[in-house]
Amino acid sequence: MTQKLLEICGIGRQRLHLAWVSSAEAQRFVDITKKTVSEVKDHGKFDPKAFKLELEAALMTVNGEDVRWLVGKQISITTKGDVYGRKWDMEKYQEVLDTILEREYQKNLIYLAIQQGKSSVREVSKVTGLDLLNISYLLADLEKTNRVEFSGMTDKIPSFAAL
Amino acid sequence: MADFEPKIVAFLCNWCAYAGADLAGVSRLQYPSNLRTVRVMCSGRVDPDFIIKAFQKGCDGVLVAG
Repeated sequence: MTQKLLEICGIGRQRLHLAWVSSAEAQRFVDITKKTVSEVKDHGKFDPKAFKLELEAALMTVNGEDVRWLVGKQISITTKGDVYGRKWDMEKYQEVLDTILEREYQKNLIYLAIQQGKSSVREVSKVTGLDLLNISYLLADLEKTNRVEFSGMTDKIPSFAAL
Repeated sequence: MADFEPKIVAFLCNWCAYAGADLAGVSRLQYPSNLRTVRVMCSGRVDPDFIIKAFQKGCDGVLVAG
């Protein structure tokens, strides 16, 4: 999930490696570290300043309620079913989780952009790189959950403020 | 970029990978010195939060090994 999130942020999943090594497998550990180092090397230096907004949004996303609940409930819902007794298969659930992950991330990105004083949809689009239509939809969602409010018109352009 | 040495934060499980790393050291196997090791009691302890924070602090890569 975190690898997917890094991919969405544009950081790239190759920077995060997961591996299982037992205590007796020293050689395997060495191989894995070598592989990790060489792959990260191929990706070059990582500049956190260039990804400041993206990382902040990613942090808000992984600590957000929606994503936490979905991940926490994954096993019970896919094995025992949800409260309505419906069974979810793993792939379907993963799909839902990915959709929510991307959506939450984009919402957080927009929220942060507005917090930084980018009040119009166009300005938000410029810093986040998301398209205008998508931002409008997500803004409606952010308004519903009381994170962003419509603060009036400036020069016939609707502007928004973070709460 | 030839002499670039990445900084990698490695979260190692106390019982598996950390012991593995220790054994690699004891048996004098060479492995890259780019790792900054964080020993955790279980790799399940590693939160996505830690990983994002590691990137915020400016590391180039993260390895989680259990």
